[in-house]
Amino acid sequence: MKATLFLLFFVGTLQAAGADDPSSQIRFVEIGQQAGVRHQHHTRRFKGPYSDVLGMFTSGGAASAVADYDNDGLEDLFVTDSDQGTTNHLFHNDGNLVFSDRTEKAGVGGGNDPKTIVADALFFDYDNDGWKDLVLARFGTPVLFHNQGDGTFKDVTASCGMNKFANSLSVTTFDYDNDGLLDLIFGNYFPPVNLLDLSTTKVLPRDLDNATNGGGVTLWRNLGGGRFEDATEKAGLANGHGWTLDCGIGDFNNDGLPDIYVASDYGTDRVYFNKGDGTFRDASQTAIGYDTKKGMNAEVADYDNDGFLDVYVTNITDEYMKECNMLWHNNGDETFTDVSRETGTCDTLWGWGAKFGDFDNDGWLDLFAVNGLRSASDDNYIPVLVEMIIRPGVDFSDLSNWPAIKDMSWSGYQKSKLFQNLGKMNIFKEISAQAGVDNDLDGRGVALGDFDNDGLLDIYQTNADQPSLLYHNVSSRPGHWITLQLIGTKSNRDAIGARVTLTAGGARQMREISGGDGYSAQSSYRLHFGIGSAEKIDELRIRWPGGGEETISVPLDRVSYVREGSGVVDVSTIRKP
Amino acid sequence: MVKPFLVLLVFLTAAPSGEQDYSAAVAAVSSGNVDEALNHFEAALKAEPNNLRYGNDYRQAVIKEKAYDRSIAFFEKLVADHPDAANAFLNFGFAYVDKIPDSGSITQVLNANTALGYFTKSIDLEPSWIAYYTRGNSYLFWPKIFNRTQLGIDDLQVALKMQQAGPKLGVYVRTYIALGDGYWKMDEPEQARKFWKQGLEEYPGDEALEKRLAASNDELGSIVSVSYDPNVRVNTDLSDLWKHQ
Repeated sequence: MKATLFLLFFVGTLQAAGADDPSSQIRFVEIGQQAGVRHQHHTRRFKGPYSDVLGMFTSGGAASAVADYDNDGLEDLFVTDSDQGTTNHLFHNDGNLVFSDRTEKAGVGGGNDPKTIVADALFFDYDNDGWKDLVLARFGTPVLFHNQGDGTFKDVTASCGMNKFANSLSVTTFDYDNDGLLDLIFGNYFPPVNLLDLSTTKVLPRDLDNATNGGGVTLWRNLGGGRFEDATEKAGLANGHGWTLDCGIGDFNNDGLPDIYVASDYGTDRVYFNKGDGTFRDASQTAIGYDTKKGMNAEVADYDNDGFLDVYVTNITDEYMKECNMLWHNNGDETFTDVSRETGTCDTLWGWGAKFGDFDNDGWLDLFAVNGLRSASDDNYIPVLVEMIIRPGVDFSDLSNWPAIKDMSWSGYQKSKLFQNLGKMNIFKEISAQAGVDNDLDGRGVALGDFDNDGLLDIYQTNADQPSLLYHNVSSRPGHWITLQLIGTKSNRDAIGARVTLTAGGARQMREISGGDGYSAQSSYRLHFGIGSAEKIDELRIRWPGGGEETISVPLDRVSYVREGSGVVDVSTIRKP
Repeated sequence: MVKPFLVLLVFLTAAPSGEQDYSAAVAAVSSGNVDEALNHFEAALKAEPNNLRYGNDYRQAVIKEKAYDRSIAFFEKLVADHPDAANAFLNFGFAYVDKIPDSGSITQVLNANTALGYFTKSIDLEPSWIAYYTRGNSYLFWPKIFNRTQLGIDDLQVALKMQQAGPKLGVYVRTYIALGDGYWKMDEPEQARKFWKQGLEEYPGDEALEKRLAASNDELGSIVSVSYDPNVRVNTDLSDLWKHQ
């Protein structure tokens, strides 16, 4: 009898702690349709003899950005489309997880012209007026919208100076020269030729493992007054000619300056350390070594809470290609070690966007990754493609050599992956199905935000040529949390690059505000921390991008607004910047 | 009587031999002077292009130095100069296989495909057990989607027949392992187990066969998958051929 009682007590204790099934807590419910944010993306339909192959190569463009554009305290959503004649959408968060489409009123639907394609979007306050502006990355020149503060935006592209053509698939913001003004880095895929007005058919990668004929990156320095200048060459970033899909930004060596990780398709990724004088040094060889993988996504976060920012890069792992993703563990000495196999995060099939977020508020960053290139008929493009690849002397760069994909699938119907961080064990457990996020759509971007301010991070997933998804986080038994919206005064207003270190329950966590890391998505600029069962925060330190540091106190289980130099401020102060 | 003896003497003296260079190469490898070893191996192979052992040991030294492009260039010239040297073509194919783990994912496909071409050439010139086994086993590395697994099984069946017709060698156990793996990949587990069992009866105690026969279906999937992972270096050392004779 005693033994039975003991056993019952033991089992009961395990269940209360969730130790029998640590994954039981994370749950999501897809609510895109009822919330009014289900958006059908359309990839660009090309014309002419190479329309099929070009369409296949440009199957990105399904992107989203999260920010409170009208300062009402609720996170809104901007979602892109890519075909000619389609419009992007601005979804205003009306509260209670209901959104209304304000695109027309806001004037931000445009960008998909006959000779340009919208591919990515980013909110950022380029003029520090307290209202988040919006930039579109395109196959073409960028588009810049100025937030007028009254629910409308003004297209200021013509006067902003960003007039250099590029086939950009990503845009990320950071203040690389610490002048208090947010700069922009664009990841360019193809070389700068207009795919909608072809003058040559040789526009594809020359080599499928070591291509150096891609678009590289473009760095636009914010000069103030709504003007930007091309600083790529001057900053030392013009040496990379990779097929860039994403840029991840973070202070990798803890010197207070934002560094860059460039993820590239068909060849090596690159790491650049910020020298603090407006230039960068290419440390790729010593930091990560050269690789031949198909880097899609660069997500920066301190997944193991050791005080150094790590990088998660998705590649291609499938029946026919075994690249494995890269989880670059930051060794703290300007070098990284790939621990994706050891941590269980190697295989997300044909990877695209991936984001770290503490979905159960236990103080450890979990990871959500989307995947799949093209889900169509049962016919598989791979055997057809390989016949071309193994043809002796074939020129991969020539569109005319690539077989048409027609209605064939290519790494299609792959299920998204959610990995729960098991904490000090330094491993992740895949829980996609239990968590309700194992959709098999052709995912591209993952944007995180807490759309109902309940302290649980929700997920917005964009899909190429398919409808988007909004996963509402309904996890049970989550831990305590805090969310911080930082407001820079000396630093850039969005506080991009600010680092917050939190100590609670004997554990320390560090986060930086990311300016749009991760492929095809910009997550909320608010910093979210879960602290598990800890009942109080022992210390909360902020290192502002401008260099100032302060220690603050904030209440648990609330969104707090923190102004540089003033500590916690009332939400009303952000409504009237 | 004197005349033929003289002729034979002249022939023996004139016959090209790489033995001296080969010995020097082996000594250089032992003393860690790989670059010198490669030079001697190449000289030996120029003298005896069809010498499988020279080519094999050359490649093993190349792997240590990761000098794949050097061996590929060397064999390319060697087979051009000696288009009838079946074993030179075999080693040429292996030189591409040796490069695979250090190549990008697409280059791996190109190298694997190029290697297959040279293995075929070797078979065309001299249909040996090693050539059939090698090509058959190479086909198994291709994912099932490329429909090459059956081609591998066909080659391995030929190799099996060849080995059954002659004296037993230890290295022949590989055919049973590979044949079973091929059938496993083709979703024919009964056939797979049949060949593994047959192999174990003939080669009792073989670790790879015992492991496969003791494994559950799930474990087998993993064993076979790991065995044909292009990122893991394949043992292309053929020395078992002369070690176990």
